[in-house]
Amino acid sequence: MRRILLSLLLPFALGTLGQAHAKVRVAATLGDLGALVRAVGGDNVDVNVLSTPSEDPHYVDAKPDRVLLLSKADLLVFNGMELEIGWLPVLMTSSRNGNVQPGSPGYLDCSTLVSPKEVPLQKIDRSMGDIHPGGNPHYTKDPRNAALIAKGVADKLTEIDPAHAAAYAQNLNAFRKQLDARLADWGKSLAPYKGTPVVTYHKSWIYFTEWSGLDEVGFIEPKPGIPPSTGHVASLFTLMRYRKVPVILQEQWYSAQTSELLSRNTGARVVRVPGMATQSQGYLDYMNTLVEAVVKGLAGK
Amino acid sequence: MRPLPSVIVLAALFLSFAAHAQAPVAPPPGAGPSEAEIARAIQGDQTANRSAAVASPGTVTSEAPTVAGLVPRAIQSLNPDISFITDFAGAWFSHSRMVADMQGDHDPHENGFNLQALEMAIGATVDPYFRFDSNIVFKQAGLEIEEAYGTTLTLPGGFQIRAGKFFTRFGRFNPTHPHSWNFADQPLVLSQFFGGDGNRGLGLEVSELVGFLPWYVEVLLSATDARGGTTNRSFLSASAVDQAHSPSDFQYTFAIKQFFPLSDDVSLSWGLSGATAPNAAGRRSEVLGTDVYLKWRPLGEPQPPIVSLQGEFLLRRYETAGGVLTDTGAFAQLLYRFAPRWAAGVGGEYVTTPSSDVGGVLSACNATPVSGQPSAACAAGTTQRYKSELTFYPTEFSRLRLQYNFEPPGPTHNVSAHAVFLAVEFGIGAHGAHQF
Repeated sequence: MRRILLSLLLPFALGTLGQAHAKVRVAATLGDLGALVRAVGGDNVDVNVLSTPSEDPHYVDAKPDRVLLLSKADLLVFNGMELEIGWLPVLMTSSRNGNVQPGSPGYLDCSTLVSPKEVPLQKIDRSMGDIHPGGNPHYTKDPRNAALIAKGVADKLTEIDPAHAAAYAQNLNAFRKQLDARLADWGKSLAPYKGTPVVTYHKSWIYFTEWSGLDEVGFIEPKPGIPPSTGHVASLFTLMRYRKVPVILQEQWYSAQTSELLSRNTGARVVRVPGMATQSQGYLDYMNTLVEAVVKGLAGK
Repeated sequence: MRPLPSVIVLAALFLSFAAHAQAPVAPPPGAGPSEAEIARAIQGDQTANRSAAVASPGTVTSEAPTVAGLVPRAIQSLNPDISFITDFAGAWFSHSRMVADMQGDHDPHENGFNLQALEMAIGATVDPYFRFDSNIVFKQAGLEIEEAYGTTLTLPGGFQIRAGKFFTRFGRFNPTHPHSWNFADQPLVLSQFFGGDGNRGLGLEVSELVGFLPWYVEVLLSATDARGGTTNRSFLSASAVDQAHSPSDFQYTFAIKQFFPLSDDVSLSWGLSGATAPNAAGRRSEVLGTDVYLKWRPLGEPQPPIVSLQGEFLLRRYETAGGVLTDTGAFAQLLYRFAPRWAAGVGGEYVTTPSSDVGGVLSACNATPVSGQPSAACAAGTTQRYKSELTFYPTEFSRLRLQYNFEPPGPTHNVSAHAVFLAVEFGIGAHGAHQF
């Protein structure tokens, strides 16, 4: 009897032993966050991203294979500020994974690491469109925030996996050095366009524009999440003509029909960028493509 | 047939509203304020902006913004998420006995306006170990606790337990609420096998996410109360008292749910379910079912079109002293979300009533008739229904739906019958995310 019991328990015991030396399994909700975790975690982490880079993060399918990925994670890294409210909670409950529930060590809400913008000061309701009570959640587009997130991720990885604390600290330092170098480059290429008025599709560029010094003057969406109406497009047309808006910025997951109509009528160029870093891309390379695309649009090339 | 014109008028209003809220047209030239006015205002803006300019791309330190205590962070509240969702429908039926087929509790079932549902959903995590969810349904007649259950969050080995009152997870459709349905009415077979309110009960469910397989496999077993208005179509009726003397007196539901991501764009869910419990004839009944859900959503495209196909097949064995009665039913629904705010769907369904069903035990159309409607004596035969719908979603919190149902001659009516529904839905508050 005892032998049977032992042989039944042995796989579990071995499993626990094996885990102690394995990589930290991280589930990140968005491509940008996954890329930052890879930068800090290096070879000591296994990162799975719970959305595809071409998927609008507001509308990700809570597919069961993502439940499976989350069920095996030691750490969940997510954007927060209710960006993933439509899909992450159901993944978390279905995952049955105690590591990643609120209050557990493996629960990292990255919005706690940065300063939020556009936090509503008045009472909000949904007549204002898709407004997030905690503020604008698209903060990964300010590369300076990337440093704060990377620091938070390094702290969290160190807490979960103290054996590799030195490696995480080293990776973080290396990432910051690269980031500072890139910030200098990007600063130079963006400098001539300081104060340039731009129109964006969704209210998802405020962190980027405030960092880069561009001036957000209008949105294709009349309210966040509400598609453009005729009257809104007409007023946008007037605004863009008078302000001489040179570019319309938007992520690839938004339709470009309205933007191109405005582009034809006002001469503004439509700059469509990938919305998230891909699995094979680092965060800095992704931001670089973003900055290059915007500069190219601004320069009229 | 007075309601018909009103339905047409409503339909016209629906379409014009939808058209109004629709997309872009070239801007009218010369509209708005005079150029001089605008130029002045803009000049003012620019001056203000220049003096208020703060951010600078010249900042080369990655330390720049820090978490300051200046802005109030998340508004702290220990209140649960509370939402109200309501569905109304204007309905027109070409044949009065057709309403005998509208056996779902949330189905439109009267000529004129129908309150389909007003539900309040409340949910929150209880503590580090449990979350709690409930659905309270308000009806003209009163209040009903549709669901109220706790779910474990942190059991090891991929296990999860739900305890309380809940929809059994038989198939894909049964555990869902009207706001996630593709049509204004529920499939015939669910009404006939599980009653108007779906199969649910008080009990316990144990499920496991099988972790060692490379694809998603979930198995579950639940034991629930076998009596009541939500089991009486196949199992014990509401009037059965003190029935649970031994473990065999419960309803047991078993299901295995699998998921195959065929590609980034194509997903396939496949489920097998079974339920068994004592029935009102003093014997046992079994219901077996299989469900598929195939979804195509090309992610590379902006604002993707979505096509989904959902179908279920169910078979019932109902044992009586006189022998075993068997009936089957199925439904299939094809949904095409062709624009961000628009979807169209078609569906077909059937359910059989065997000729051996002498006393009308199985047929749902012999169930208590809907108030004010003639009771239908159902003959044996197959009831079929074909539906099509067009839905406009102003946002994800509201919905306008125009639906047309066609029923060929069947047990309740010997001529072809038609129905038109115009349904609206509003949802407010914080409502939890749904399963895929």
